[in-house]
Amino acid sequence: MNIINRFFVWVVMLPSNIYEKMGINVHQLRVVVKTKLLIDDRRPNTIHQTQQKKQKKPISFATLGSMIMSAFLGSFFLISFFVGHDMITRLTIYFSFFIFVLASTLIADFTSVLIDIRDNIVILPKPISDKTFVFARLLHILIHISKMVIPMVLPAIILLVYRYGIFKLIPFLLLTGLATLLTIFLINALYIFILRVTTPERFKAIISYFQIIFAITFYAGYQLVPRLINKAAMEQYDIRSNIWAWLAPPYWFAGAWELLTSFQFSLPLVICLLFSVFIPFLSIWVVIKFFAPSFNQKLSMISGSGSETSISAQPLKNEKDVPLKISYLSKISSFFTEKGAERMSFQQVWKMSSRSRDFKMKVYPSLGYLVVYLVIMFMNNNKISLADIKDQSGRGKIIFISLIYFSSLMLIMALNQMIFSEKYKAAWFYYTTPIAKPGRIISGAVKSMIAKFYLPLITVTAIVALVIVGPKILPNLLFGLFNQFLITCSIAFISVKEFPFSQSQNQVKSNFIRGMVSMFIPASIALLHYMIYSFMPVLMILCLLSGIASWLVMDAIKNKSWDDLNLSYQD
Amino acid sequence: MEPIIKLKNVVKNYGDKKVLKGINLTIFPGQVIGYIGPNGAGKSTTVKILCGLISDYEGEVWVDGIDLKQDPLSVKRKIGYVPELAELYDVLTPSEFLGFMAELYEIPNEIAEERIRKMLAAFGLDGNMNQRMDTFSKGMRQKVLIVSGLLHNPDIIILDEPLSGLDANSVIIVKDLISKLAKDGKTIFYCSHMMDVVEKVSDRIVLINEGMVIADGSFEELQSQQGNQSLEKIFAHMTAKESLSDAADQMMHAFEN
Repeated sequence: MNIINRFFVWVVMLPSNIYEKMGINVHQLRVVVKTKLLIDDRRPNTIHQTQQKKQKKPISFATLGSMIMSAFLGSFFLISFFVGHDMITRLTIYFSFFIFVLASTLIADFTSVLIDIRDNIVILPKPISDKTFVFARLLHILIHISKMVIPMVLPAIILLVYRYGIFKLIPFLLLTGLATLLTIFLINALYIFILRVTTPERFKAIISYFQIIFAITFYAGYQLVPRLINKAAMEQYDIRSNIWAWLAPPYWFAGAWELLTSFQFSLPLVICLLFSVFIPFLSIWVVIKFFAPSFNQKLSMISGSGSETSISAQPLKNEKDVPLKISYLSKISSFFTEKGAERMSFQQVWKMSSRSRDFKMKVYPSLGYLVVYLVIMFMNNNKISLADIKDQSGRGKIIFISLIYFSSLMLIMALNQMIFSEKYKAAWFYYTTPIAKPGRIISGAVKSMIAKFYLPLITVTAIVALVIVGPKILPNLLFGLFNQFLITCSIAFISVKEFPFSQSQNQVKSNFIRGMVSMFIPASIALLHYMIYSFMPVLMILCLLSGIASWLVMDAIKNKSWDDLNLSYQD
Repeated sequence: MEPIIKLKNVVKNYGDKKVLKGINLTIFPGQVIGYIGPNGAGKSTTVKILCGLISDYEGEVWVDGIDLKQDPLSVKRKIGYVPELAELYDVLTPSEFLGFMAELYEIPNEIAEERIRKMLAAFGLDGNMNQRMDTFSKGMRQKVLIVSGLLHNPDIIILDEPLSGLDANSVIIVKDLISKLAKDGKTIFYCSHMMDVVEKVSDRIVLINEGMVIADGSFEELQSQQGNQSLEKIFAHMTAKESLSDAADQMMHAFEN
């Protein structure tokens, strides 16, 4: 138990006498809260999960790590204090940042902190009253949120004190508390909504989609917002001129701050204050009163035996659309692969990558980042005209080439992630079945990734290019396509030495040089393509060579033997 | 003698599905009850009701003269539960986890510490007391769970498939322990699919199927009703819809193409 947790326990246990009067067993309360915090401290948080973990040593100060991270995020919010001239505008932006980031961090943590299904089996059979247990949960959530919020607002606190003095800080702190309440309500509302429209079994999958969307939006926001707003306009910006601002809760908080620090009792500011005080409390009350009872019941169903009954009912429902999916997959797999191990692997990787939450969490955000990148690129080159693209001069070339080669990054990402799984032990069957050429498994997997993540993209690109530019783009398009195959195959040849979904994320020996090479190959080929873009004969010859080369490399992958791969069952 | 556990017409539904259709049981102290039944018969549900995991059941449950619905806390103090799956907070060490359990039962610290140490040592885990359980094997976790169920010296011990993952030596220890605990006047509620073990350890066997008790008595009584055969055979005879050897034959026929 570290000093931070000890401090928090001490603080929340201060009103022990009151708890006791409420009929709560203080001793059990303290023990549950302490243990929960100890467990949190050893659990990898969201930030840890999205990174590839290199260290093998157990996590023991997760709390400290996530606190530092949230202070770091909080310091980004300070940008808002350099916008416009008035505090209402600035604080509106600040609180927008705050609510958005807090919500997106909490939404992930809530699934692991709130819905720890083991609580039911471990704690419920013990002689602990419901009241004590619920209260312990509440305190635990309170501490958990404080650990996020306090470091997050710390940078702003320092700035406020430095610029405006300590007295303007107090209303700010109060309003931060209210904003936090509102955020909790938002998350709760979202959870309740998801639980309404879907089954508890799919709940976690949907929450993880939300996390992916949040991560992408977050990234896009940081990349795009500064570019969108030009500097002069930013300094002149005044949110009060915009009537729609009233719909945004951050605006109320900003207005309330203005009122509490300047004591101008104008009507809009008074409304702001009333809104920002009453709406958070009202919404929390609504959650507790109307939603919480059914909410808890549904949450417990996530682990409960309820799922057993629904499993038997489900296959019937899906029976209609299964054949369609399967036939598409079997067609596409028989087109790309040889019968046997390769096809098996192609289909297995295709299915696993659509169904494994783990895989999607790692790969889909990078898809999103890619889109954001592309958008930024177009925005930076706002001189591009359609004519440029049409006659393939200057910038038109660059755009086309980056469109084709950028997707490499995504494919590499998918390839790297493909070998990992939470259920890596399930890969035993690769070792117990008589596979003569393990290379077939890997080639099937690589083809699956190409077919799944690259083909749709290149099809769209090709159609768009053909419509805009016309058939004369065809050689370049083909060259790009073959190169992409070559790049993917080469990288797979160098770096994929394990069976798909057979490695545990924790035991990765990440290889920096491998990673650098994987980035270097597409970049240099893209450069080459750019240089020979308009030399048709050279292009044709290289196109042919590239096609042959990728075929050869794929063949080499196929023929890899047990000795070429570092394959051993991970137990 | 007063019964220690009494279930009166206990019914539990999940939505439209009836899991328990009126279970009636009267159990006296010092008995080892072998609670058996096929998958989905309602065994786990009964156990979960008894130890307070499920509270929205119909009917009455009395433990040592206390109504479970009226005073669940007093009931829980008398029961020790060893869950089926190795569910525990595996980032904790055994001594932390068991310490936590002991505090929930409000056992004084000095007593708890000594008990934990002695009990773990009996299972040969004294060297692993301060290691995190995420590296533990299934058997080691099971041992920790067994200790956590016995820690507060309960009158009733509910064991749900307690031998899973244990090595042969530990199985002997646990079986021996069960009979010694029963001799000490404790009531053991033993749920398992391993018929040979149930046959040997239980004084009384309760067989449930589709949410109802279909046989209840000592092994000898069951034998006298169902013919002189092993519990496995009796079980199959009473619960299987089709002949099981037909199923095996069908499996063998599958090779014929």
